[in-house]
Amino acid sequence: MTSRDAKEALGKFTRRQLMELDTCAHCALCTEYCPVYMETEEPGHAPGVRSSKAVKLYDKQHGLRARILGPRPVTDEEVEELSDSAFNCTFCGRCMEVCPFGIQTHELWSKVREVVHDLEGTPRNVGMLEEMLDESQNPYGLDPDSRLDWADFTDLEEIPEKDKAEVAYFVGCTTAFKGANHEVAFATASILNMLGEDWTLLGEDEWCCGSPLLLAGDEHSAKEYAKHNVEVLESRGVKRLITGCSGCYRVFKWEYPKLLGGDLKFEVLHTLEYLLEKLESGELKPEKTDERVIYHDPCELSRLGGLIDEPRKVLAYLANDWVEFAEHGIDVRCCGGGGLLQASNNEARLAIAKKRLDEAKSLGAEIITSACPSCKLTFVDSAREHEVDIEVLDLVELVAKQLGIL
Amino acid sequence: MALNGALSALYSFFVTKLPYITIAVFLLGVTYRLQRWLSAPKGPEGPPLHWPSALKYVVLDVVLFRKTYKTDKLMWLVLVLFHIGTGGILFGHMRGFHLWSASMFEVLGHGFAEFMVHTLPLYMGWMFLATQIYLLYRRTRLEGKQLQSLANDYGALVILLITSILGQGMRIFPPEAIPTETYSVVFIPNLIVLHLEKVPSHHWFFWHVLFTQLLVMYLPWSKLVHVVSGVATSALYGSRRRKYDL
Repeated sequence: MTSRDAKEALGKFTRRQLMELDTCAHCALCTEYCPVYMETEEPGHAPGVRSSKAVKLYDKQHGLRARILGPRPVTDEEVEELSDSAFNCTFCGRCMEVCPFGIQTHELWSKVREVVHDLEGTPRNVGMLEEMLDESQNPYGLDPDSRLDWADFTDLEEIPEKDKAEVAYFVGCTTAFKGANHEVAFATASILNMLGEDWTLLGEDEWCCGSPLLLAGDEHSAKEYAKHNVEVLESRGVKRLITGCSGCYRVFKWEYPKLLGGDLKFEVLHTLEYLLEKLESGELKPEKTDERVIYHDPCELSRLGGLIDEPRKVLAYLANDWVEFAEHGIDVRCCGGGGLLQASNNEARLAIAKKRLDEAKSLGAEIITSACPSCKLTFVDSAREHEVDIEVLDLVELVAKQLGIL
Repeated sequence: MALNGALSALYSFFVTKLPYITIAVFLLGVTYRLQRWLSAPKGPEGPPLHWPSALKYVVLDVVLFRKTYKTDKLMWLVLVLFHIGTGGILFGHMRGFHLWSASMFEVLGHGFAEFMVHTLPLYMGWMFLATQIYLLYRRTRLEGKQLQSLANDYGALVILLITSILGQGMRIFPPEAIPTETYSVVFIPNLIVLHLEKVPSHHWFFWHVLFTQLLVMYLPWSKLVHVVSGVATSALYGSRRRKYDL
């Protein structure tokens, strides 16, 4: 890497982000709310330390001294340290929510990862994920042909793949390729069929939404994925896109317009919003369960996506007895499943989730529910690893279960 | 005698020449800071500034420290007292520059006016010092564990602490005989003139003058830039919440 490359990479911080880096007082008020730091207790994983490291490197190339005397080289060790900090983060956005200055850390850390990517400091596992995406358009490196295998595994009878449809169900890679989530896709498809909706799947034309690429700091490739998915959806005349994945939802709703430089021609809905519509209109009439249910807000859906009340309204149709975590809604504590932490520090991911599961158990919950395949997968993995006895269901599965179709 | 002569020259420099340097360095710093930010790429359009939400979160988060209250009650108390101290001390100094006078409190009684201009500032000074010492203690306690401070994180706090110690020293140490003309300290003729009611302790006063100016010079280069930029980031955060309907 040449010093010109380093200068260019570090020069990617936008005006707002640079102002935010300069504003960060390194007060450490965010530290005890960072799920990764609280697990690893590694100083480098604290959000404020990440900010210190980033601004230090920026100043080496662009600071006052660099302007007068010339830039100083960025060492491999410094890049490695910044990378370790950047990738030991779940991208949950909690640090933004507790920051006294409201620094928009989700975007800031995303830029730090982009800088690390350009400085060639991306961790090996994350780099492999990018390679797999290149080859198969999904982060698991599985054959694109197998994107609809979940339908075979769940014995779904009707699998519409139409040239034109009002509604498209964007399954998402973690739902399509991870066994723990196959029933989420089955539940969604079954409900759409039950309602007689004019809907379609995209099949092999569905590419990853690009979220992992953004999380890996590769905005350039993410743009290609966004372009492809939007073209496919528009060519099928889709008016409403439904997805049950919080990551896909957030990226479609909030990132695609930024990546593509304009509004989308179709409406983006999380499955829960769609289900709430149908529950409120009386088209869906589930039975209520008497089991105690607890709802975990996916960070990308709540704090970073703007959907906090909707899942609770859905839950009110499903359970007679449901409880809240102490930290919920905009203040939710991450399950550990975000930010590609599985690739960079799986042990921390499972330990973070265990704390959440333990809290759910201590509140007497029999079912922990969420609205994100990544949260579900993390809870399932952690419950297995740490032998926590609790049923983990996506909220869509709970709807289907209470409708008697699952 | 020689030392006294040198000191007198130095003190005279603090009052008559340094203010020009202070203003120049401060303006240079403001220019540098703005240029540093404006030379960065603009980036994709963020949420448009929504004034009511921006104002709401500036009041909640910058004025009332809502988020700090949620996260750390002791720190919230310290920050509130620290900022009350800052405001009170700045306000108190304005009397010396004839921006207000003690007579405005006379309507509430002479005793109250005395309390406001003589008793309260002394206690506010102690409180201000105590909060700074806590902030410094907290930073050193968490250093290397939860934070990795940069030099300028300490720089601003240390200069402020020294300035405050010197200012408080002026109040508690007995005054010395100094030339009568220092009752009115002319920093910049017809622009910045400090009128002193009492003769302060000589050395404490002039070193306080020096460190106050160092603090002003350092302000735009330091972490204290958050005084201004923190308002902007909170306003942008408020607009973001509006955009995401939170």
